[in-house]
Amino acid sequence: MNAENKYLEVSELPNRADHLWRYTPWKKVHPTGNVNTVPKEITEPKIKLLNLDGTMVPPGIELTKGVAKEIKLPDSDVVSTNFLKAVSSNSNWILKTKSNFNTKNPILIEIETNGENNAIQLTLDIGLSNEFEIVTIIKGKPNWMGLLRTGMIGDGSNINDMTVGLQEGGTLLRVDGISLGRDAQFRTGTVSSGSERTKADLRYRMGQKGSDLRVLGSILSRDSMHLDYHIEIQHDAPQTFSRLAWHAACGGRSRTIGTGMLKVANGSKGADASQNFHNLLLSKNAEADGIPELEVLENEVVGCGHGIANGPIDEDQLFYLHARGFAPKDAESALIAAFLNSTLSKMGSTQVHDWLSRMLSSELKNMNSS
Amino acid sequence: MEASQEARDAVGDYKAGWHDTENSTIRFDSGLSEKVVRDISELKKEPKWMTDIRIKAYKHFVNRPMPTWGNMSMLKQIDFNKVCYYLRSSDATENDWDDVPEEIRNTFDKLGIPDAEQKWLSGVTAQYESEAVYHSIREDLVEQGVIFLDMDSGLREYPDLVKKWFCSVVPFSDNKFSALNTAVWSGGSFIYVPKGVHVEMPVQAYFRINAKNMGQFERTLIIADEGSSIHYVEGCTAPTYSTDSLHSAVVELIALPGSHIRYSTVQNWSANVYNLVTKRGIAHEKSKIEWVDGNIGSKLTMKYPSVILKGEGSHAEVISVAYSGKGQHQDAGAKIHHLASNTTSKILSKSISKDGGRGSYRGMVTVSKKAENCKLNIVCDALILDEKSRSDTYPTMEVSNSTAKCEHEASVSKVSDDQLFYLMSRGHSEEEALALIVNGFFEPFTRELPMEYAVELNKLMALEMEGSIG
Repeated sequence: MNAENKYLEVSELPNRADHLWRYTPWKKVHPTGNVNTVPKEITEPKIKLLNLDGTMVPPGIELTKGVAKEIKLPDSDVVSTNFLKAVSSNSNWILKTKSNFNTKNPILIEIETNGENNAIQLTLDIGLSNEFEIVTIIKGKPNWMGLLRTGMIGDGSNINDMTVGLQEGGTLLRVDGISLGRDAQFRTGTVSSGSERTKADLRYRMGQKGSDLRVLGSILSRDSMHLDYHIEIQHDAPQTFSRLAWHAACGGRSRTIGTGMLKVANGSKGADASQNFHNLLLSKNAEADGIPELEVLENEVVGCGHGIANGPIDEDQLFYLHARGFAPKDAESALIAAFLNSTLSKMGSTQVHDWLSRMLSSELKNMNSS
Repeated sequence: MEASQEARDAVGDYKAGWHDTENSTIRFDSGLSEKVVRDISELKKEPKWMTDIRIKAYKHFVNRPMPTWGNMSMLKQIDFNKVCYYLRSSDATENDWDDVPEEIRNTFDKLGIPDAEQKWLSGVTAQYESEAVYHSIREDLVEQGVIFLDMDSGLREYPDLVKKWFCSVVPFSDNKFSALNTAVWSGGSFIYVPKGVHVEMPVQAYFRINAKNMGQFERTLIIADEGSSIHYVEGCTAPTYSTDSLHSAVVELIALPGSHIRYSTVQNWSANVYNLVTKRGIAHEKSKIEWVDGNIGSKLTMKYPSVILKGEGSHAEVISVAYSGKGQHQDAGAKIHHLASNTTSKILSKSISKDGGRGSYRGMVTVSKKAENCKLNIVCDALILDEKSRSDTYPTMEVSNSTAKCEHEASVSKVSDDQLFYLMSRGHSEEEALALIVNGFFEPFTRELPMEYAVELNKLMALEMEGSIG
């Protein structure tokens, strides 16, 4: 059965008792709102692979069109995953690297939307013992954009991965389903400040011994944005390690949502996992919601924990900066930048961080001027 | 003790698991219908408005689907047609212990209720099956205007007061089980504390299910008038049967300005009881509501004591502990809604899972748009004692006001080897050491209980820990 039929077979809408769909009902992120259909007018966005500095990528990494072979992926949500598979059936890409590929120069995947509704499926086929950084940018002014990323991080690889949402307005539906190989290290960051509405379901599975996952978020919401992120981390093997740090600053009438699910399966001895959500509320009408969930079925764990904290900007810190000559708006911007930077700075190398910081500064200027 | 082997296997060493010969004066046939609801109301000679509420609630119950969250597979096992919705074992609620039927008296004697009353309680209600069988209150409190009655007597003697507050905090349409309770409620406590009166010693209610396939649906309503305070303690046990019983209570607390209500529960139902309870309080200006909630027994507990902080400066606190043993799922937690400014709340949840048990914390905290300067803090700790058990945390936090300061943290771990080693090096067996660590883990809960309950709880936990090593 193809993905379209699989999607259409899901007769019931996602249940809002399910935390994944509690705050953003499926029909709000469906391109037409008519959930019983799979729209045909979905275009393929432009995609290119280059170095972050604009030069050509070195040999050993390639982006090709095609369908990757099936691998064991994290359990995913049947509705959004099958829908994305259905609408991106003509836009399947594979990012493939050879074993031992490594480069100091960060790699850039640029996705430029092309018309009203866009969708793309990108499979990461990362070989053994790779070491590199990769930044995926989504640009353009679409009405709707769907991004499905699946794949496998090869044994012993060490990858820094960042997805940056720079699309202007519209809706972004993003689904990640990525598995980590033995002793693989995967650091994946999300920087978001563009789309008007985002629904992201990011799932990572550590099915092999010794894998190490860091999930980082640096989210800036303003005006009437509605940004909903669900992050699920599945520990399915012994000695696996994960950390989730998610920072969201919400201004205007915006709403950010962070729901997490940390699953530690029976047999994942020595698992060490934690997730933390921090929300900074910048205006009276902003709202931040969070559900950090934990399901632990193994008792021999190093530790499993989670935390969430919501609050306004610290008045003492504001006063300190005012006393040193910062104008009120500048002091606030500096503190927001510092708050977002605490996760941003962990996402990649200095080169990537400088690039992300510049982008964040211009977004904060936009926020102050709006 | 006449438990079958199957039941024994299911519940393990449950010390309150004996049962008396069933000696009912009235027992309704199993199953629920509008007629059953009307018959209960008629039997109790209730006013028409109460019968009408019951009927509306019954219709809502029939049409309302089961919850789509929690332990759905266990909920589906409940056969509402097998439950007996009303059973009376005594013709009257007695004020003198010696007038209580002998078999029932023996049961409560075994549970230590009369001793406790003499030593440290302001009043006692003992409920056996559907009705209160014994009730007393200290005379000095009566003189001060404190009303402490079983709910049926409360409805008879203070109909206006009951009508004003009944269903005001938990409407029957709140959930399927609150609808069921409103339709078939019987027994429970009705308390009114007048302005400025402080009830220094706790009042207690003890609930006992004796019969097979019994449903107990008590309804408790506590109103603390301005500047008053009260501590209410409830305990529950049931016999060990191989078939299931259902306990579905509703508790409504109203803390008027400046008052303080503390509601403590030590729930020790046998592991064949579904415990599906709705507990909620409304806190007015500068009042305080505390839920101290211990869940040791039952097959499935779904209970989330909640507080609506309606008045400025009000405070809510929930301390809950849960022990989940073989075949048990304790799905407990707390819900707090900050509707007014300068309100504060604290939730402390601790759970232990053992022998394949499952402990879940499920909570919700909301801060509304108009509630300025709210502070809330949630801490959840869980211990998993073996490979077969599991622990879950499902907290929800919805914050719509930028001045709120909210924190939530949770951790899941096993018993520290260092702590075990330390205690064993001082001469304790491994089992004793584990029991001590578990009691220490629950200490923030037990220190909030009256002494006798704390000692009882420690004994219960030591009993549960027996045989956990090797």
